[in-house]
Amino acid sequence: MMDPRVQQVLDGELPVTALPPELADEVARLEGAAALLAVAPAADARLEARVMAAIRRRAPGPVLRVLQWLSAPRSVTLRFRPVWSLAVVAVFAAVALFPADEPGPVLAADEGVAQFVARFPGARSVDVAGSFNDWRAGEVHLRDDDHDGVWRAAVVLPAGEHEYMFIVDGERWVADPLAGRYVADGFGRENSLIFVRPLAP
Amino acid sequence: MTEHGGPSDAEVVARVLGGDVEAFGIIIRRYEPGLSRFAARMLGDRDAAADAVAEGLVRAYRHLAGCREPERLRTWLYRIVANRCKSHLARRSLADVALDDAPPIADGADTEARYERTEQLALLEGALARLPDEKREAFVLKHVEGLSYEEMSAVTGERIPTLKMRVHRAREALLAALKERV
Repeated sequence: MMDPRVQQVLDGELPVTALPPELADEVARLEGAAALLAVAPAADARLEARVMAAIRRRAPGPVLRVLQWLSAPRSVTLRFRPVWSLAVVAVFAAVALFPADEPGPVLAADEGVAQFVARFPGARSVDVAGSFNDWRAGEVHLRDDDHDGVWRAAVVLPAGEHEYMFIVDGERWVADPLAGRYVADGFGRENSLIFVRPLAP
Repeated sequence: MTEHGGPSDAEVVARVLGGDVEAFGIIIRRYEPGLSRFAARMLGDRDAAADAVAEGLVRAYRHLAGCREPERLRTWLYRIVANRCKSHLARRSLADVALDDAPPIADGADTEARYERTEQLALLEGALARLPDEKREAFVLKHVEGLSYEEMSAVTGERIPTLKMRVHRAREALLAALKERV
Protein backbone atom coordinates (compact mmCIF):
# COMPACT_ATOMS: atom_id res chain seq x y z
CA MET A 1 0.00 0.00 0.00
CA MET A 2 1.45 3.32 -1.07
CA ASP A 3 1.68 6.17 1.39
CA PRO A 4 -1.29 8.46 0.62
CA ARG A 5 1.01 11.50 0.67
CA VAL A 6 2.77 10.17 -2.43
CA GLN A 7 -0.58 10.03 -4.22
CA GLN A 8 -1.37 13.57 -3.06
CA VAL A 9 1.93 14.89 -4.45
CA LEU A 10 1.38 13.13 -7.77
CA ASP A 11 -2.14 14.58 -7.90
CA GLY A 12 -0.74 18.07 -7.29
CA GLU A 13 -2.43 18.37 -3.91
CA LEU A 14 0.76 18.47 -1.85
CA PRO A 15 4.26 19.85 -2.54
CA VAL A 16 6.99 17.25 -2.81
CA THR A 17 8.95 19.15 -0.17
CA ALA A 18 6.38 17.95 2.36
CA LEU A 19 7.64 14.37 1.96
CA PRO A 20 10.49 12.58 3.73
CA PRO A 21 13.34 11.55 1.37
CA GLU A 22 12.23 7.92 0.94
CA LEU A 23 8.75 8.99 -0.18
CA ALA A 24 10.14 11.75 -2.42
CA ASP A 25 12.19 9.00 -4.07
CA GLU A 26 8.99 7.05 -4.84
CA VAL A 27 7.52 10.18 -6.44
CA ALA A 28 10.66 10.64 -8.53
CA ARG A 29 10.62 7.02 -9.68
CA LEU A 30 6.99 7.20 -10.75
CA GLU A 31 7.51 10.53 -12.52
CA GLY A 32 10.53 9.06 -14.29
CA ALA A 33 8.48 6.03 -15.33
CA ALA A 34 5.74 8.28 -16.69
CA ALA A 35 8.28 10.36 -18.60
CA LEU A 36 9.72 7.21 -20.16
CA LEU A 37 6.29 6.02 -21.21
CA ALA A 38 5.46 9.49 -22.52
CA VAL A 39 8.10 9.40 -25.24
CA ALA A 40 6.01 9.68 -28.37
CA PRO A 41 6.53 7.16 -31.13
CA ALA A 42 7.73 8.58 -34.42
CA ALA A 43 4.94 10.21 -36.39
CA ASP A 44 3.41 7.84 -38.89
CA ALA A 45 2.98 9.69 -42.19
CA ARG A 46 1.22 6.66 -43.66
CA LEU A 47 -1.52 7.03 -41.08
CA GLU A 48 -2.40 10.54 -42.24
CA ALA A 49 -2.42 9.38 -45.86
CA ARG A 50 -4.61 6.42 -44.95
CA VAL A 51 -7.15 8.54 -43.05
CA MET A 52 -7.27 11.26 -45.69
CA ALA A 53 -7.79 8.66 -48.43
CA ALA A 54 -10.75 7.23 -46.54
CA ILE A 55 -12.16 10.71 -45.93
CA ARG A 56 -11.76 11.85 -49.52
CA ARG A 57 -13.52 8.71 -50.66
CA ARG A 58 -16.48 9.80 -48.57
CA ALA A 59 -16.27 13.51 -49.34
CA PRO A 60 -19.74 14.83 -50.18
CA GLY A 61 -20.52 16.11 -53.65
CA PRO A 62 -21.74 19.65 -54.28
CA VAL A 63 -25.43 18.68 -54.17
CA LEU A 64 -25.06 16.95 -50.83
CA ARG A 65 -23.07 19.90 -49.48
CA VAL A 66 -25.91 22.23 -50.42
CA LEU A 67 -28.36 19.88 -48.68
CA GLN A 68 -26.10 19.81 -45.61
CA TRP A 69 -25.94 23.59 -45.60
CA LEU A 70 -29.71 23.78 -45.83
CA SER A 71 -30.24 21.19 -43.08
CA ALA A 72 -27.61 22.49 -40.64
CA PRO A 73 -28.93 24.54 -37.71
CA ARG A 74 -28.21 28.28 -38.05
CA SER A 75 -28.93 31.16 -35.78
CA VAL A 76 -31.27 33.84 -37.13
CA THR A 77 -32.54 37.13 -35.76
CA LEU A 78 -36.21 37.87 -36.22
CA ARG A 79 -37.72 41.33 -36.14
CA PHE A 80 -41.45 41.55 -36.58
CA ARG A 81 -44.27 44.05 -36.87
CA PRO A 82 -47.28 43.06 -34.67
CA VAL A 83 -49.87 43.88 -37.40
CA TRP A 84 -48.28 41.55 -39.94
CA SER A 85 -47.68 38.92 -37.28
CA LEU A 86 -51.41 38.77 -36.48
CA ALA A 87 -52.14 38.28 -40.16
CA VAL A 88 -49.62 35.42 -40.38
CA VAL A 89 -51.13 33.79 -37.28
CA ALA A 90 -54.58 33.97 -38.91
CA VAL A 91 -53.30 32.23 -42.05
CA PHE A 92 -51.64 29.47 -40.01
CA ALA A 93 -54.85 29.00 -37.99
CA ALA A 94 -56.85 28.61 -41.19
CA VAL A 95 -54.45 26.00 -42.50
CA ALA A 96 -54.54 24.11 -39.21
CA LEU A 97 -58.34 24.14 -39.00
CA PHE A 98 -58.93 23.12 -42.62
CA PRO A 99 -56.06 20.79 -43.47
CA ALA A 100 -55.65 19.37 -46.90
CA ASP A 101 -55.48 15.60 -47.30
CA GLU A 102 -52.04 14.36 -46.26
CA PRO A 103 -50.62 12.65 -49.32
CA GLY A 104 -47.42 11.37 -47.62
CA PRO A 105 -44.00 11.66 -49.19
CA VAL A 106 -43.92 11.93 -52.97
CA LEU A 107 -41.29 9.62 -54.39
CA ALA A 108 -39.49 10.21 -57.62
CA ALA A 109 -39.27 7.30 -60.02
CA ASP A 110 -35.66 6.68 -59.06
CA GLU A 111 -36.33 6.67 -55.32
CA GLY A 112 -37.52 3.99 -52.94
CA VAL A 113 -38.26 3.44 -49.27
CA ALA A 114 -35.59 1.82 -47.09
CA GLN A 115 -36.93 0.08 -43.98
CA PHE A 116 -34.39 -0.04 -41.16
CA VAL A 117 -35.28 -2.42 -38.32
CA ALA A 118 -32.94 -3.36 -35.49
CA ARG A 119 -33.26 -4.91 -32.06
CA PHE A 120 -31.36 -3.04 -29.33
CA PRO A 121 -33.05 -3.70 -25.97
CA GLY A 122 -32.18 -1.04 -23.40
CA ALA A 123 -30.80 1.44 -25.95
CA ARG A 124 -31.58 5.09 -25.29
CA SER A 125 -31.34 6.03 -28.96
CA VAL A 126 -30.61 4.38 -32.28
CA ASP A 127 -29.66 6.31 -35.42
CA VAL A 128 -28.68 5.13 -38.84
CA ALA A 129 -25.95 6.76 -40.90
CA GLY A 130 -24.49 5.74 -44.19
CA SER A 131 -23.22 6.59 -47.60
CA PHE A 132 -26.61 8.24 -48.32
CA ASN A 133 -25.98 11.03 -45.80
CA ASP A 134 -22.18 11.13 -45.71
CA TRP A 135 -22.16 9.07 -42.50
CA ARG A 136 -23.52 11.85 -40.36
CA ALA A 137 -24.92 10.57 -37.08
CA GLY A 138 -27.91 12.25 -35.46
CA GLU A 139 -29.82 12.89 -38.69
CA VAL A 140 -31.91 9.75 -39.16
CA HIS A 141 -33.45 8.45 -35.96
CA LEU A 142 -35.04 5.04 -35.46
CA ARG A 143 -38.03 4.89 -33.09
CA ASP A 144 -39.18 2.36 -30.53
CA ASP A 145 -42.60 3.71 -29.65
CA ASP A 146 -43.78 0.58 -27.80
CA HIS A 147 -40.47 0.16 -25.91
CA ASP A 148 -40.04 -3.47 -26.93
CA GLY A 149 -36.42 -2.95 -27.95
CA VAL A 150 -37.19 -3.08 -31.68
CA TRP A 151 -36.26 0.18 -33.41
CA ARG A 152 -37.60 1.19 -36.84
CA ALA A 153 -37.28 3.92 -39.43
CA ALA A 154 -38.51 4.28 -43.00
CA VAL A 155 -36.38 6.55 -45.15
CA VAL A 156 -36.78 7.71 -48.73
CA LEU A 157 -33.47 7.09 -50.50
CA PRO A 158 -32.21 7.10 -54.06
CA ALA A 159 -32.62 3.66 -55.58
CA GLY A 160 -29.53 1.52 -55.51
CA GLU A 161 -27.04 0.21 -53.04
CA HIS A 162 -26.14 2.06 -49.83
CA GLU A 163 -23.67 1.31 -47.04
CA TYR A 164 -24.87 1.99 -43.51
CA MET A 165 -24.37 1.36 -39.81
CA PHE A 166 -26.47 1.84 -36.71
CA ILE A 167 -25.32 4.21 -33.96
CA VAL A 168 -26.51 3.10 -30.56
CA ASP A 169 -26.75 5.70 -27.77
CA GLY A 170 -24.97 8.23 -29.93
CA GLU A 171 -21.56 6.59 -29.89
CA ARG A 172 -21.52 2.84 -30.52
CA TRP A 173 -21.35 2.05 -34.26
CA VAL A 174 -22.86 -1.34 -34.97
CA ALA A 175 -23.29 -3.24 -38.22
CA ASP A 176 -26.82 -4.47 -38.87
CA PRO A 177 -26.78 -8.18 -37.94
CA LEU A 178 -29.77 -8.71 -40.23
CA ALA A 179 -28.31 -6.96 -43.26
CA GLY A 180 -27.21 -10.17 -44.90
CA ARG A 181 -24.66 -8.33 -47.04
CA TYR A 182 -21.62 -6.43 -45.87
CA VAL A 183 -18.66 -4.59 -47.33
CA ALA A 184 -15.24 -3.94 -45.77
CA ASP A 185 -14.83 -0.34 -44.64
CA GLY A 186 -11.07 -0.41 -45.22
CA PHE A 187 -10.31 -0.36 -41.50
CA GLY A 188 -10.83 -3.96 -40.56
CA ARG A 189 -14.56 -3.72 -39.98
CA GLU A 190 -17.62 -4.06 -42.15
CA ASN A 191 -20.46 -1.78 -43.14
CA SER A 192 -23.91 -3.19 -43.82
CA LEU A 193 -25.39 -2.99 -47.31
CA ILE A 194 -28.96 -2.25 -48.29
CA PHE A 195 -30.42 -2.28 -51.77
CA VAL A 196 -33.27 0.17 -52.31
CA ARG A 197 -35.65 -0.75 -55.12
CA PRO A 198 -36.98 2.13 -57.23
CA LEU A 199 -40.66 3.03 -57.03
CA ALA A 200 -40.98 2.63 -60.78
CA PRO A 201 -39.41 -0.62 -61.97
CA MET B 1 -3.00 31.72 -33.53
CA THR B 2 -2.76 29.10 -30.82
CA GLU B 3 -0.21 27.08 -28.88
CA HIS B 4 0.05 24.97 -32.03
CA GLY B 5 1.09 28.00 -34.04
CA GLY B 6 -1.84 27.66 -36.41
CA PRO B 7 -5.58 28.16 -36.57
CA SER B 8 -7.55 27.18 -33.48
CA ASP B 9 -9.29 23.83 -33.34
CA ALA B 10 -12.66 25.56 -33.61
CA GLU B 11 -11.51 27.36 -36.78
CA VAL B 12 -10.25 24.13 -38.34
CA VAL B 13 -13.47 22.30 -37.45
CA ALA B 14 -15.50 25.11 -39.05
CA ARG B 15 -13.41 24.86 -42.23
CA VAL B 16 -13.90 21.10 -42.46
CA LEU B 17 -17.65 21.41 -41.84
CA GLY B 18 -17.72 24.12 -44.48
CA GLY B 19 -16.50 21.61 -47.06
CA ASP B 20 -12.70 22.00 -46.82
CA VAL B 21 -11.96 18.29 -46.44
CA GLU B 22 -8.18 18.82 -46.66
CA ALA B 23 -8.25 20.93 -43.48
CA PHE B 24 -8.86 17.71 -41.56
CA GLY B 25 -5.18 17.00 -42.22
CA ILE B 26 -4.36 19.81 -39.76
CA ILE B 27 -6.27 17.96 -37.05
CA ILE B 28 -4.49 14.72 -37.89
CA ARG B 29 -1.01 16.29 -37.77
CA ARG B 30 -1.85 18.13 -34.57
CA TYR B 31 -3.18 15.18 -32.56
CA GLU B 32 -1.98 11.99 -34.23
CA PRO B 33 1.29 11.70 -32.23
CA GLY B 34 -0.47 11.88 -28.84
CA LEU B 35 -3.34 9.65 -29.95
CA SER B 36 -0.91 7.08 -31.37
CA ARG B 37 1.11 7.09 -28.16
CA PHE B 38 -2.05 6.65 -26.08
CA ALA B 39 -3.29 3.80 -28.30
CA ALA B 40 0.14 2.15 -28.32
CA ARG B 41 0.29 2.21 -24.51
CA MET B 42 -3.26 0.86 -24.33
CA LEU B 43 -2.81 -1.89 -26.91
CA GLY B 44 0.92 -2.63 -26.61
CA ASP B 45 1.18 -3.00 -30.36
CA ARG B 46 2.07 -0.37 -32.96
CA ASP B 47 0.00 -1.88 -35.78
CA ALA B 48 -3.11 -2.30 -33.66
CA ALA B 49 -2.60 1.24 -32.33
CA ALA B 50 -2.36 2.62 -35.87
CA ASP B 51 -5.59 0.82 -36.76
CA ALA B 52 -7.37 2.20 -33.69
CA VAL B 53 -6.20 5.76 -34.37
CA ALA B 54 -7.05 5.60 -38.08
CA GLU B 55 -10.51 4.23 -37.35
CA GLY B 56 -11.00 6.84 -34.66
CA LEU B 57 -9.98 9.72 -36.91
CA VAL B 58 -12.28 8.57 -39.73
CA ARG B 59 -15.13 8.32 -37.23
CA ALA B 60 -14.22 11.73 -35.86
CA TYR B 61 -14.53 13.14 -39.37
CA ARG B 62 -17.88 11.44 -39.85
CA HIS B 63 -19.16 12.82 -36.56
CA LEU B 64 -17.48 16.20 -36.69
CA ALA B 65 -20.80 18.05 -36.89
CA GLY B 66 -21.71 16.39 -33.59
CA CYS B 67 -18.66 17.81 -31.78
CA ARG B 68 -20.52 20.34 -29.67
CA GLU B 69 -17.44 21.99 -28.22
CA PRO B 70 -14.80 22.22 -30.98
CA GLU B 71 -12.51 24.07 -28.58
CA ARG B 72 -12.33 20.78 -26.65
CA LEU B 73 -11.57 18.78 -29.76
CA ARG B 74 -8.56 17.08 -28.15
CA THR B 75 -10.63 15.53 -25.36
CA TRP B 76 -13.28 14.50 -27.88
CA LEU B 77 -10.69 12.76 -30.07
CA TYR B 78 -9.23 10.91 -27.10
CA ARG B 79 -12.72 9.67 -26.23
CA ILE B 80 -13.24 8.28 -29.73
CA VAL B 81 -9.81 6.63 -29.86
CA ALA B 82 -10.26 5.26 -26.31
CA ASN B 83 -13.48 3.60 -27.49
CA ARG B 84 -11.69 2.15 -30.52
CA CYS B 85 -9.00 0.77 -28.19
CA LYS B 86 -11.68 -0.86 -26.05
CA SER B 87 -13.13 -2.51 -29.15
CA HIS B 88 -9.68 -3.80 -30.12
CA LEU B 89 -9.08 -5.10 -26.60
CA ALA B 90 -12.46 -6.83 -26.59
CA ARG B 91 -11.65 -8.53 -29.88
CA ARG B 92 -8.18 -9.39 -28.65
CA SER B 93 -9.52 -11.03 -25.51
CA LEU B 94 -11.49 -13.30 -27.82
CA ALA B 95 -8.31 -14.11 -29.71
CA ASP B 96 -6.55 -14.66 -26.35
CA VAL B 97 -3.38 -12.74 -27.16
CA ALA B 98 -1.53 -11.50 -24.08
CA LEU B 99 -0.65 -7.80 -24.07
CA ASP B 100 2.66 -8.32 -22.33
CA ASP B 101 3.78 -10.68 -25.10
CA ALA B 102 4.14 -7.63 -27.31
CA PRO B 103 7.67 -6.30 -27.82
CA PRO B 104 8.54 -3.00 -26.14
CA ILE B 105 7.63 0.12 -28.06
CA ALA B 106 10.96 1.92 -28.14
CA ASP B 107 11.36 5.52 -29.18
CA GLY B 108 13.51 5.00 -32.23
CA ALA B 109 16.57 2.91 -32.96
CA ASP B 110 18.07 1.32 -29.89
CA THR B 111 21.76 1.84 -29.30
CA GLU B 112 24.02 0.33 -26.68
CA ALA B 113 23.65 3.44 -24.55
CA ARG B 114 19.90 3.11 -24.66
CA TYR B 115 19.87 -0.53 -23.60
CA GLU B 116 19.17 0.22 -19.95
CA ARG B 117 16.45 2.66 -20.84
CA THR B 118 14.81 0.24 -23.28
CA GLU B 119 14.95 -2.50 -20.67
CA GLN B 120 13.24 -0.29 -18.12
CA LEU B 121 10.67 0.71 -20.73
CA ALA B 122 9.96 -2.98 -21.38
CA LEU B 123 9.55 -3.54 -17.66
CA LEU B 124 7.10 -0.64 -17.39
CA GLU B 125 5.16 -1.70 -20.46
CA GLY B 126 4.90 -5.21 -19.07
CA ALA B 127 3.60 -3.86 -15.75
CA LEU B 128 1.22 -1.55 -17.61
CA ALA B 129 -0.03 -4.42 -19.76
CA ARG B 130 -0.80 -6.53 -16.71
CA LEU B 131 -3.09 -3.83 -15.30
CA PRO B 132 -6.81 -4.14 -15.91
CA ASP B 133 -7.79 -2.10 -18.97
CA GLU B 134 -9.58 0.64 -17.04
CA LYS B 135 -6.62 1.22 -14.68
CA ARG B 136 -4.17 1.26 -17.59
CA GLU B 137 -6.38 3.75 -19.41
CA ALA B 138 -6.61 6.01 -16.35
CA PHE B 139 -2.85 5.96 -15.73
CA VAL B 140 -1.96 6.63 -19.38
CA LEU B 141 -4.43 9.49 -19.71
CA LYS B 142 -3.19 11.07 -16.48
CA HIS B 143 0.55 10.54 -16.59
CA VAL B 144 1.42 9.86 -20.22
CA GLU B 145 -1.03 12.19 -21.95
CA GLY B 146 -1.13 14.74 -19.13
CA LEU B 147 -4.92 15.13 -18.98
CA SER B 148 -6.57 16.63 -15.93
CA TYR B 149 -9.06 14.54 -13.99
CA GLU B 150 -11.83 16.72 -15.44
CA GLU B 151 -10.66 15.98 -18.98
CA MET B 152 -10.30 12.30 -18.14
CA SER B 153 -13.88 12.30 -16.93
CA ALA B 154 -14.99 13.77 -20.26
CA VAL B 155 -12.99 11.12 -22.14
CA THR B 156 -14.10 8.07 -20.17
CA GLY B 157 -17.50 9.11 -18.83
CA GLU B 158 -16.39 8.05 -15.35
CA ARG B 159 -16.60 10.10 -12.15
CA ILE B 160 -13.47 11.81 -10.91
CA PRO B 161 -13.22 9.83 -7.60
CA THR B 162 -13.40 6.60 -9.62
CA LEU B 163 -10.64 7.78 -11.93
CA LYS B 164 -8.46 8.87 -9.00
CA MET B 165 -8.82 5.46 -7.43
CA ARG B 166 -7.83 3.76 -10.69
CA VAL B 167 -4.79 6.01 -11.09
CA HIS B 168 -3.77 5.35 -7.49
CA ARG B 169 -4.00 1.57 -7.94
CA ALA B 170 -2.03 1.77 -11.20
CA ARG B 171 0.72 3.80 -9.52
CA GLU B 172 0.98 1.22 -6.76
CA ALA B 173 1.31 -1.60 -9.28
CA LEU B 174 3.96 0.23 -11.32
CA LEU B 175 5.95 1.21 -8.26
CA ALA B 176 5.86 -2.39 -7.06
CA ALA B 177 7.20 -3.52 -10.46
CA LEU B 178 10.00 -0.94 -10.31
CA LYS B 179 10.94 -2.02 -6.79
CA GLU B 180 11.00 -5.70 -7.78
CA ARG B 181 13.60 -4.98 -10.42
CA VAL B 182 16.10 -3.51 -7.96
